[in-house]
Amino acid sequence: MSTERVDAYAEAILGIARAEGHVEEIEDELFRFARAVEGNDALRAALIDRSLPAERRFAVVSELMGAKALETSTALAAAIVAAGRASDLSAIVDRFVELAAAGREREVAEVRTAIELDAGEQARLAEAIGRAVGKNVELKVIIDPKVLGGIVARVGDTVIDGTVRHRLEQLKEQI
Amino acid sequence: MRIRRLVAVSLLALGTVVTVPGVAHASGSAGEISECLLEKAEELEAKEIDAATFDVEAKNCYAAPSPLLPATGEIIWGGIAFLIVAFGLIKFGFPALRKGLADREAKIREDLEAAEAAKASAQQADGQHESIIAEARTEAGKLIEQAKADADRVRAETIARAEADAADIRARANADAQLATERAMADLQSQVAELSVDLAERVVQRNLDRDTQKALVESFINEVGGSRS
Repeated sequence: MSTERVDAYAEAILGIARAEGHVEEIEDELFRFARAVEGNDALRAALIDRSLPAERRFAVVSELMGAKALETSTALAAAIVAAGRASDLSAIVDRFVELAAAGREREVAEVRTAIELDAGEQARLAEAIGRAVGKNVELKVIIDPKVLGGIVARVGDTVIDGTVRHRLEQLKEQI
Repeated sequence: MRIRRLVAVSLLALGTVVTVPGVAHASGSAGEISECLLEKAEELEAKEIDAATFDVEAKNCYAAPSPLLPATGEIIWGGIAFLIVAFGLIKFGFPALRKGLADREAKIREDLEAAEAAKASAQQADGQHESIIAEARTEAGKLIEQAKADADRVRAETIARAEADAADIRARANADAQLATERAMADLQSQVAELSVDLAERVVQRNLDRDTQKALVESFINEVGGSRS
């Protein structure tokens, strides 16, 4: 998908989210949905497969978004899938999150950790990462057991990896 | 010259006529005498001649003519014919004969000269052939020597190439063996590393309780917060 088209979808989603007045909630819900689809090949294939009935694909989207999700978030995710852009879901949502953060004069820091972080940890982590990269950042936390322990943060092209997985890989390289 | 030759031929012909016995009218035989006497008797009887004349004529009948000298007419006509023939021979025959002889002589001379020339040419050709054969033998000798030299050179090159190929094959085999050993060692090290890391991962995972996870998060926050890119 071209960058222009991704931008167009992201700006459209941002406009709807602003119109609904739930930008941050929609950001979080779509971000988690995108990460869930990205980490599951079978799920992504099912959403991309146009031979499946649309109702079935919408049902999958609704089930993944959960009952607590905003109807707007679910509708936006379903619209992307219905438009046949499920393969570009991650790119569209990431761009949408970036635009939303840029609107708040911040950058998105994608953080992967093995455990949930409480609000205080997230605040201190955001401050620490912002200090490290020299920018105001807001976190998008992804629970990822593969990191084993610790945290890996990505801000744009900058990656700060402090995970146990990364240290084990370094140990393997040394051996 | 021609006149003297004509006179000589005429004398020769006259001598021949005089000396060679004639064949015509050779008088003296009994029949001829009888016939002569009968003829004279008839003339006497016919009173063409008188008795005295008859006696003289009869005596003449008994007189024997020259056995060699032909009749006068024959001599004249024979001489004329002879002169005609001699004239023809001198005028046409002898020149033609001389011309034929001269032509024959010239032909024989030309043939001899041609034979000499052919002989000389043949001798020259023989010399050339011998020269060519000698040159060919020399050339053949050179070619044989060259072929031997080439064969020696090719044999030496082949041996050198074979030795170089063998050395190259040995070197490649050694290199392959070395590479295979290094690969095996690398694979072994990689497998050891994999196993070690897998083992470490399991041990770490088992020991990563919530407090440890929190400690790791705090450690990351402190490390990142203390640094500045």
